[in-house]
Amino acid sequence: MQIKMLWMYHDLMDLYGDKGNTEVLRVRSAKRNIECIVDTCSIGEQKDISSYDLFFMGGGADREQNLIFEDLISRKEDIQKAMQNKTAFLLICGGYQLFGKYYKDQDGNIVEGLGFFDYFTESTDRDHRCIGNIAIEATMDGETFKAVGFENHGGQTRNVETPLGKVLYGHGNTFDSGFEGFLNDQVLATYMHGPLLPKNPKIADKILQRALRKNYGDVTLAPLDDEIEYKAQEVMLKRLKVR
Amino acid sequence: MDLRLKFVQLTHKALQKVGRGGSFHGEIALRIDPHFIEKFKMPTTVILVTGTNGKTTTSNLIAESLRASGMKVINNRRGDNLNVGIATLLASNADSDFRIQADAAVIEVDELTVYRQFKNLHPTHLVVTNFFRDQLDRAGEMETIIRKIQEVTEDFEGHLILNGDDPNVLRIADTAKKAYVHYFSVAENKVSVKTTDEASEGKFCPRCGKPLVYDFYQYSHIGRFHCPYDHFGEITPDVLVSDVDYDHETFTYEGNQFHSFINSIYAIYNCACVLTVLKTMNLHPRNANTVFENFVLKEGRNELYQLSKPCVINLVKNPTGANEVMKYIVAQEGDKNICIFLNDNDQDGHDVSWIWDAHFERLNQPDIHTIVCSGLRAYDMALRLKYEGLEDRIKVIEDSKEAIHWLNEADMPSHVIATYTALHATRAILKKEEESCR
Repeated sequence: MQIKMLWMYHDLMDLYGDKGNTEVLRVRSAKRNIECIVDTCSIGEQKDISSYDLFFMGGGADREQNLIFEDLISRKEDIQKAMQNKTAFLLICGGYQLFGKYYKDQDGNIVEGLGFFDYFTESTDRDHRCIGNIAIEATMDGETFKAVGFENHGGQTRNVETPLGKVLYGHGNTFDSGFEGFLNDQVLATYMHGPLLPKNPKIADKILQRALRKNYGDVTLAPLDDEIEYKAQEVMLKRLKVR
Repeated sequence: MDLRLKFVQLTHKALQKVGRGGSFHGEIALRIDPHFIEKFKMPTTVILVTGTNGKTTTSNLIAESLRASGMKVINNRRGDNLNVGIATLLASNADSDFRIQADAAVIEVDELTVYRQFKNLHPTHLVVTNFFRDQLDRAGEMETIIRKIQEVTEDFEGHLILNGDDPNVLRIADTAKKAYVHYFSVAENKVSVKTTDEASEGKFCPRCGKPLVYDFYQYSHIGRFHCPYDHFGEITPDVLVSDVDYDHETFTYEGNQFHSFINSIYAIYNCACVLTVLKTMNLHPRNANTVFENFVLKEGRNELYQLSKPCVINLVKNPTGANEVMKYIVAQEGDKNICIFLNDNDQDGHDVSWIWDAHFERLNQPDIHTIVCSGLRAYDMALRLKYEGLEDRIKVIEDSKEAIHWLNEADMPSHVIATYTALHATRAILKKEEESCR
């Protein structure tokens, strides 16, 4: 089996170790003899997005976000086609925001989003951000489990109808919002850095399954030794007292 | 005479008598009077040193070089670079009328504190070493720091000493129209590379947003670059250091040979920076050379302990620092163990995701035997290494005493890497462990 992943704006949207997510997906595939090809795409590059099984986009500072949004908007049709073709999406922070209606940055500039979903994001001033460790209870593809991460965003994302999970500790989509991220059966969007996947192997495997679904239908993945993964997660859950 | 100042100074003296230097009196001073720092009558030369990495080393080198040139200099040599540390330095060196008793003050200032205290300290020089991705939850995005420093230097009429090989630092020159701008730069040498996977910030021209073109990289995004569209980065350095020889720890400046204090590229940049400061003050560079030659790095910077076998400890705060330390470790020949202390207290930054931005794959070397992971986030570190295929060599020992003890028992040369809040405790443990070996 094979997964073709497209890492969008790898050179610009790469804050807070988000690149670790691609590493986790690659290694967890390899351990199951699944070949995971990681391709990258930056501003102006020609790539047929709909031919990929997984689309990954991380976060960036306002400056980077302003640099890429026109290029991203110009690819709207192609991304739409990828959605119809059952490509799976993993979007972190800035990637999350730009798939909604719009993003209003710290200086009040409005950056148009792709508008695939009804949520929108408005930034607070520079000195007020949702920063800190976060723990959530996520429900994804029929399973409910805890997940941990680190959030660091000024953007307040509202009008999310189907969040990824309930916040057990931290902020989530807005200050003390109670809910974190966005999820449908194809797209997982979240503010959780950390990076997201190393300490949340369940999410990592579900992303792989979603990516495989396009070509292979429902695939059962062989279990891996995740002792260190869960130890690291447990240290944080314990500290946040959400066991 | 100001009674509050008198009180603060007496507290300082009393504490010194009982063997407690510290910054307690600076803290009291700021509690009594939040505007305490503004009150001082600063000396004729005030040099502020800021940036992400190398602040402590650079400011100590500058202070020592000025002393070697015959000046009376005060500086916060231990790197207490926040408001309290600065207040402490000033209060300890002023007469009862707030006059600083020195010819020059060299003050290391945290990059978040510098824009708040800039005008209060009446600087004649602002030195900026570099800007890297740092503790993002504490410092915010680097962008914010740069913008704030740009704001306070807009009408600055003093000397700006800038790393000419760092596109992020160069941005300050674009907005500081009234300042005397001086650049330092290091010529292509053995460690220079044509392509890199280290650069994270500063890949794009701040003026037009197009990709910058690099002739070569020194480390991270530091190197010789320019923008082909608007000439950003086309500078004439005031100090260009060349012929860097890492084996003999030497380099050339204006035809003369200089010594470095350690054989690393970032040390060469520190030296180039110091030479630039001296040039603006018309001081002879040979005064700096003596300092470079005899300079001993501060605590936790390549510091050696004699355990059963030699053990070297290094402080690491961000991906760039970690990459450089790993390059150094890997360059040391022979079998070795490594111990990494990863904490996430306030001063470390609560967000440990930076370890995923650092190139830990460099540790995948046959002569590195065991990598002990310790500290509050030991398992995060172990996980990071696991994903570099180092699974079989990881050992998690959360307790720091046990971790160091294991290292000593293993009877093999070792390297310790520690984040800021782990450093002091780890050094104390190493000292004890060292004593037990005698």
